[in-house]
Amino acid sequence: MADTRRFAVWLGAISLCVPLLEGCRRGEPADGAASKTTTLLLAAYTTPREAYRDAILPGFERAWKEKTGAAIEFRTSYQGSGAQARAIIGGFEADIAALALAPDIEKIAAEKLITHDWKARPHGGMVTNSIVVLAVRKGNPAGIKDWADLTRSGLNVLTPDPKTSGGAMWNINAIYGAALRGHTGVAANDPAAAAGFLAGVFKNVSIMDKGARESITTFEKGVGDVAITYENEVLTAQAAGEALEYVVPKSTILIQNPAALVDTYVEKHGTRNAAAAFLDFLASPDAQHGFAKFGFRPVDPQVAKEVETKFPPVEDLWTIDDLGGWPKVLEEIYGPQGVWTKVFADKSAAP
Amino acid sequence: MTPAAGSASAATAPAPARKDAAVPRPWGRWGLRATAIAYLGLAVALPLAAVVEQGFSAGLREFWRNVTGPAAADALQLTLLMAAIMTAVNVVFGVATAYVLARYEFPGRGLLNGLVDLPFAIPTLVTGLMLVVLYGPAGFLGRWMEGRGIQVIFARPGILLALLFVCYPFVVRSVQPVLLGAERSEEEAAWTLGASRWKTFWRVTLPEILPAVLTGALLCFARALGEFGSIVIVAGNIPGRTLTAPVYIFGEIESQNPRSASAVSIVLLTISFVMLLLVDAYSRRPKAAGG
Amino acid sequence: MADVAGPEAADPRERRTRPRGIELLLVAVVVGYAGILLVGPLLGLVWGALRGGAGPFWRALTHPEALHALKLTLLLGLAATAINAVLGTCAALVLVRDDFRGKRVLNGLVDLPLATSPVIAGFMLILLFGRGGWLTPAVEALGVPIVFAVPGMLLATVFVSLPFVTRELVPVLEQIGTESESVAYTMGASPWTAFWRITLPAARWGLLYGVSLTFARAIGEFGAVLVVSGSIAGLTETATLFVYRALDERNPVGAHAVALVLALFSFVLLLGMEFFRRRRRRSYRS
Repeated sequence: MADTRRFAVWLGAISLCVPLLEGCRRGEPADGAASKTTTLLLAAYTTPREAYRDAILPGFERAWKEKTGAAIEFRTSYQGSGAQARAIIGGFEADIAALALAPDIEKIAAEKLITHDWKARPHGGMVTNSIVVLAVRKGNPAGIKDWADLTRSGLNVLTPDPKTSGGAMWNINAIYGAALRGHTGVAANDPAAAAGFLAGVFKNVSIMDKGARESITTFEKGVGDVAITYENEVLTAQAAGEALEYVVPKSTILIQNPAALVDTYVEKHGTRNAAAAFLDFLASPDAQHGFAKFGFRPVDPQVAKEVETKFPPVEDLWTIDDLGGWPKVLEEIYGPQGVWTKVFADKSAAP
Repeated sequence: MTPAAGSASAATAPAPARKDAAVPRPWGRWGLRATAIAYLGLAVALPLAAVVEQGFSAGLREFWRNVTGPAAADALQLTLLMAAIMTAVNVVFGVATAYVLARYEFPGRGLLNGLVDLPFAIPTLVTGLMLVVLYGPAGFLGRWMEGRGIQVIFARPGILLALLFVCYPFVVRSVQPVLLGAERSEEEAAWTLGASRWKTFWRVTLPEILPAVLTGALLCFARALGEFGSIVIVAGNIPGRTLTAPVYIFGEIESQNPRSASAVSIVLLTISFVMLLLVDAYSRRPKAAGG
Repeated sequence: MADVAGPEAADPRERRTRPRGIELLLVAVVVGYAGILLVGPLLGLVWGALRGGAGPFWRALTHPEALHALKLTLLLGLAATAINAVLGTCAALVLVRDDFRGKRVLNGLVDLPLATSPVIAGFMLILLFGRGGWLTPAVEALGVPIVFAVPGMLLATVFVSLPFVTRELVPVLEQIGTESESVAYTMGASPWTAFWRITLPAARWGLLYGVSLTFARAIGEFGAVLVVSGSIAGLTETATLFVYRALDERNPVGAHAVALVLALFSFVLLLGMEFFRRRRRRSYRS
């Protein structure tokens, strides 16, 4: 019996070493120059996973092979944009961060992990566009026509949690902005009225998922009457066979998603060339068409023109700059005295 | 997925070692002691210190602000409330289950006995998934319940259900051995004197198992406070309504508020740990009394 | 302390009766409750996994990422269990046999992981080993990545499954006492030999029960690894993280398939646990 025990202990000790070794091996920085295969770690938000997996990454792997003859391998992680930024700041050694909104990239830059001017890239560092829409079930049984319907009594509205989801922040900006511009039934240019409208919408929100993707999959499971979401999320869902439609509000915000390489980690991994080439690729017509196939509006104006018919027009399409730009929005809407902060606090206080 | 040691009580601080106890030679004893201290120090004490440091790193007032902020306070209140309700229900059904398992013979008794431990073995995430499949809007029971206007998933009943599942074994396994080892003579005496079953249970059996019931209840409560895997799937994340403390902490971690996350963590840890200390102290009493 | 200290009945089976009358109702209520609470969801899971047919189920299960996730879960489980088995035994020996100031603190430390929500456990590791963490300079010098890599996940798993071996062994060691060991020493045995040949065999069922609890807990870990792993598909994704991601990726069959595998594995573990638990109780009667 003692011998069996000894054997068991040795077996345990050996099995202890295996994951440690495996873990250490993976942790070795990829030497892009010496070895034949470069590994790039892509940290993205939840929404574009199909686009990257099925179009963009294979496309770049092909292009890289053609150009340099070497193979390139991608490791991917998809989480809520805020969560992803947090992870990168906390030590997640992503070579490329493709997030939902500029402030999340700025967060990483503020920690000196990104040290170049990422906005200097073509299209201001953005790689995809989309718009905020209202996803409804097939046939629109709830009869949603525009923002004003969202405050209807008894309606169940889904939107993610802005603490972790970039998509949620776009949603809130869209609601607030549309209200300020007078397209929601409340007085235009009246911040108090707009805040009131925002509160009215959130009175109907009963679930706030962690990310845009989680929010739409909850909606698909049969929960809720309408989901505020990215246009491309609904298009992806439809492509996956879900019975969803979407309503384009008269006035909505243009969602702009950035991507940047993380200087500290590309230096550490020796993957700067590959990472920079990947970002160039993202702006190329090839990739832009790839994104368009998955429901993203291209940032490249030429490609946008070519795929125009796929995307419904928006009567009043405006950008974050029309709200004063991200720094102002972060302060005025999400700051300690911000509009959203107050709405959220009141919502928690309410029964 | 934290099973109680079959005895369903916290590690009772062992009685002090007798001086004549066989201990290895001095260097061996020190080696062993050093290993144990290093193990527990590095694996438990150090991480705990990190959280405590982080929570108080901006001072006491900031700590208090983080803990009493609207969403945090609501989350803590909801967690305590759900744990309390669940524990109450679990005590009733747990005692009933233990009684049935210990006293009666019926087909399927062995199966039931084994199943009681199932929540110990199943990952909490899988628990959450199973509950959504069954009680979600697209599930069997979910559709039936929605028709009657009862929402389970993404509402408080869902949280309760998840906690009931996960904590089911604690009271059962705490009470069952006591019932098995109990002296039946008093019970039998009560029956022969004409007392009804219920009265016998209430007057004779219950007082005897009460310490075990309390131990199980405390363990159950402490376990429920920290539950995450099943609740994150099953609850809706709305502060004040369906946002529990662990999910709130998770949100704070994810949105880069380590100090806030630490502050609430410290409160949660303290409550749970006090529960475990109570269990420890309480489960030592009968031993001292019984000798 | 129940199940360990008190004397067991001669044979519990002899004292059980068949339920009559109102007792039948009680049994029915209990069985019904357990059935709805425990069995219902399990059946739902089976239905969800096999709903699309055996083909898609098998395909989802044999997808490389699913297989990698299951493999990683198994490896982490074994490694964490091995560490906690060895060091936990050590801690148990110290708690029972040794005496020094601050022993009660050690005892409390053993219990702490039980009181800790798994997300807090993962968070602790980020605080220690993430950017700006207390131990980060040390590990960076060693070149071993901790957070967002497998070693960090291993540490998280070790933490959450830490208490069980020690908690199971302490009462067992107390029960065993030190007489046999003393005899062995007087006969000239070394402490090692005494441990291997006397103590360990006597405590084996308690140890195995603790080990099985540890393994079950390690396999099922989710919250801590969610925080600490970065969820890199095919690299730092355990089975539970895979299920979580599959739910997001509109892959319900994949999610349910891997969840079902985890549940079935838990069943097997459960059988082992029951076996060891019964053997341990029986060893007290002798």
